[in-house]
Amino acid sequence: MQPKRKKMSLQKRHNLIGWAFLIPASLLIFIFCFYPMVQAILLSFKKGMGAAGVWNGIGNYTRILKDKTFRQCLFNTVFYFIIQVPIMLLLALILAQLLNNKDLKFKGLFRTMIFLPCATSLVSYSMIFKSLFAGDGFVNAILTHIGMQPVDWFQNAWAARFVIIIALIWRWTGYNMVFYLSGLQNIDSSIYEAARIDGANGIQQFFKMTIPLLKPTILLTAIMSTSGTLQLFDESVNLTAGGPGKSTMTLAHYIFNISFVETPKFNYAAALSVFILVCVAILSAIQMKVGDSRD
Amino acid sequence: MRRKLVSAILAATVVGSMIAAVPVAAESNDETLTVWCWDPNFNIYAMKQAEAAYQKDHPDFKLDIQENVYSDIETKLITAATSGDYSTLPDIFLMQDYSYHKDVTSFPDVFTDLTDSGIDFSSFSAGKLADSTVDGKNYGVPFDNGATIMAIRSDIVEEAGLTTDDFKDITWSQFMELAKTVKEKTGTPMLTTSGGSELVLEMLQSAGASPIVDGEVKIADNEVLAQAVEVYATLVKEGYMTEYTDWDQYIASMNNGDAAGVINGCWIMSSIQAAEDQSGNWTIVNMPALDDVEGATNYANCGGASWAVSSNCENTDLAFDFLKSTFAADVDLYDDLLVNAGAIASYLPAAESSVYQEASDFYGGQKVYADIVDFASQVPAFDCGAYYSDIRSALTDVVTNVVQNDADITSELQNAQDTVEFNIEG
Amino acid sequence: MISGATNKSIDIVRGRLIPGSYLMENFKSLTANQNLGLAMFNSFRNAIVITILTLLICSIAGYGFEIYHDKGKDLLMSILLLAMMLPFVALMIPLFTMFSKIGLVNSWMALVLPSISTPFMIMLFRQASRSFPVDIIEASRLEGMSEIAIFFRMYIPVMKSTYGAAMTVTFMNAWNNYLWPKVILQNNESITMPMLVANLKSGYSVDYGMLMLGVLICTLPTAVIFFCLQKSFSNGLTGAVK
Repeated sequence: MQPKRKKMSLQKRHNLIGWAFLIPASLLIFIFCFYPMVQAILLSFKKGMGAAGVWNGIGNYTRILKDKTFRQCLFNTVFYFIIQVPIMLLLALILAQLLNNKDLKFKGLFRTMIFLPCATSLVSYSMIFKSLFAGDGFVNAILTHIGMQPVDWFQNAWAARFVIIIALIWRWTGYNMVFYLSGLQNIDSSIYEAARIDGANGIQQFFKMTIPLLKPTILLTAIMSTSGTLQLFDESVNLTAGGPGKSTMTLAHYIFNISFVETPKFNYAAALSVFILVCVAILSAIQMKVGDSRD
Repeated sequence: MRRKLVSAILAATVVGSMIAAVPVAAESNDETLTVWCWDPNFNIYAMKQAEAAYQKDHPDFKLDIQENVYSDIETKLITAATSGDYSTLPDIFLMQDYSYHKDVTSFPDVFTDLTDSGIDFSSFSAGKLADSTVDGKNYGVPFDNGATIMAIRSDIVEEAGLTTDDFKDITWSQFMELAKTVKEKTGTPMLTTSGGSELVLEMLQSAGASPIVDGEVKIADNEVLAQAVEVYATLVKEGYMTEYTDWDQYIASMNNGDAAGVINGCWIMSSIQAAEDQSGNWTIVNMPALDDVEGATNYANCGGASWAVSSNCENTDLAFDFLKSTFAADVDLYDDLLVNAGAIASYLPAAESSVYQEASDFYGGQKVYADIVDFASQVPAFDCGAYYSDIRSALTDVVTNVVQNDADITSELQNAQDTVEFNIEG
Repeated sequence: MISGATNKSIDIVRGRLIPGSYLMENFKSLTANQNLGLAMFNSFRNAIVITILTLLICSIAGYGFEIYHDKGKDLLMSILLLAMMLPFVALMIPLFTMFSKIGLVNSWMALVLPSISTPFMIMLFRQASRSFPVDIIEASRLEGMSEIAIFFRMYIPVMKSTYGAAMTVTFMNAWNNYLWPKVILQNNESITMPMLVANLKSGYSVDYGMLMLGVLICTLPTAVIFFCLQKSFSNGLTGAVK
């Protein structure tokens, strides 16, 4: 009897210690994220700010349905999300696998070069892309060279969306690669040795081992990229300024505009933000359901 | 042991910097004013010179000038206003003229009414003053001039067998003919633009029209506006004007000679002058006028800013007196700003000074400053109201769709009307 | 970009790509116009303190979430994830109002506190802990080590590669953060490198040589830190401990 009771209480103790470990982080998030978040959600059901605010029911939400600009921005954002996230994550995985090769020389340099794009400041990043895709820029020079028509990258809606996707992949692939690389280190290298001895080639190793073993990290990056892309702001503002017209503008850019650039409509901006929150939450919940199993 | 040492050092760093970071209370010096503005070579320089000038009579006076990008100034103002905490605002800040109506209407508590501050507002040009005047009250002391100019490359125009005089006081249809000649003879487009709706709005203003009629938005069924959009679309489609969506490439197109000219606010001159090897090849004229519109002129305004006093200013008497004795009185100050910062004043008496009559070598000996002040005095007053930013953004969509997708002007303007009305009703 | 830093503004506008001889001139005008030293100091101080605190707080939480996992903690993790799903633009004003009420606007606490605990980092450590061998914990417990000692003496050294990745990313995010520091800190004295770069681009005429040099200086620290830390991604210690 005696040893069993002791074990029970030990597990309880561990459980409590576990909670103690989470408390500082959770507390900070509750105070500095959830409190303002609740304020923002309340705001989305009101008309007017602060003390002058009056309840408006779902007025701000029904307004969303009538908003043409919103529809355009939603389309753009979802388009970026669907095209960019899978390409980027797959690319990052492949790069991580390649650069994890023990025999590769200068891999530190390669890794740094691939990571560098997300470390560069927004200013230089947008200047580089704008000049690459300029009317007489590098990309058009190549197109002309191989006998194709040059493209007005920033004046044509689809071309401009394409530039944004390329830019996003360029900037964030290295970022995701970092997590895969670090994840790969936590995998016992003897597993790979064994596979090699069994005659598994690189592609087989990638699909049969890397992807399953990195599943927890892939889930993490998938959720982060989903959340990041649906809240995409920098590229829309700095690369294309949402243009031509509003054909590359993202939802977060639109929210910023109606809060700080155009005549302010904070309640409506809050409602739009809650809309993004719900979308990301649903997508993440699906991803968690599919990917977060401890087997 | 080593690990313990490392963690001890880390802990010390964290704690140390926390302590070091205890907020320092702002100096409560009675004679110090805090100012927000954004360009070290331009308005920050101006404030520094004004500080020095005012210190002659007020030795204890000091300015604390803080550099903030303009969009950040607005973000900070709005954040402060919506949270009801004005304590973070400076005493004086510089505000773009196009934001005045929007921000004074939306956040009246940010501003101090300057109407009875003793500043003589009648000595500023009326068109400029209107931007910072809301409901008959003055909220800003006008600073730099934003009169629209057309700068042209005399060497390119002459190569086509024309003179720069041909471009003075003309209409857009005459301009098209001239641009056609230049394009055929030299292959160079006459104009370059950074896209958007600025030029269309300038045309509208030059014709004395507005997208606001009797306080109502009038974008659809606005004949002058439709004509302006059409002129813009023709310029691009005929190849008389090249669009660069990126500001840096737009500037490069001027400096590289990819276009024979540009229409913009006169502040664009500092970018033109960066190409020192083109000295003597530039001339400034007024912009073309719209055809067949009653009261159409060759003058408009684009950009420019005014000094505002915030509601957080405790020593308003000092702020008023400082602005009154510098930006609203000191002709010597404006002379210095013209020479050293290229800032063209909207303070009318300043234009009578001899410095403004001097010929500029860069512009082939033209008395550009006197000419620009003359342009500024003829700009029709233009009120876009509190919804200027919304209108500007909707018109940018119109211009883009018409130019890029050959969309129908009438239906696009109707869309813009709907968009702006939708924004207003929310 | 690098060659831009050595050229004269007008040459850059005209698309000159070869290195020029204007590096010193650009540096002189940069230091004359902007307080480069102060911005560097502030940026480093903010980024270092935020990185240290973030790693500590989030890794211990991620460890707690995974090692002692149960239904309740999994649920809390899902709830915490919500925190990063609302665009920051919408949070900014309520957050500012909150700090204004407790009188911490313009204080350094207001800059640091909201930045040091992110669901992202917690989840990074939670996911990475899944590959942490439980045997080590069991063995350490038998040796009589306390739970907190196991975390510091066993877990941290083993998870070096995760810490390396987390440190790089946290440092970079803290370094590049712009909007919140700009809004909550009101003085020139708190200028950071990204603010300095933004200032360089805000004038009516931009000196591109100076701008490129500023951008270069602003990018270097993150790049160097990555280069130094990336080694830790290549020799994880999991195998060694076993």
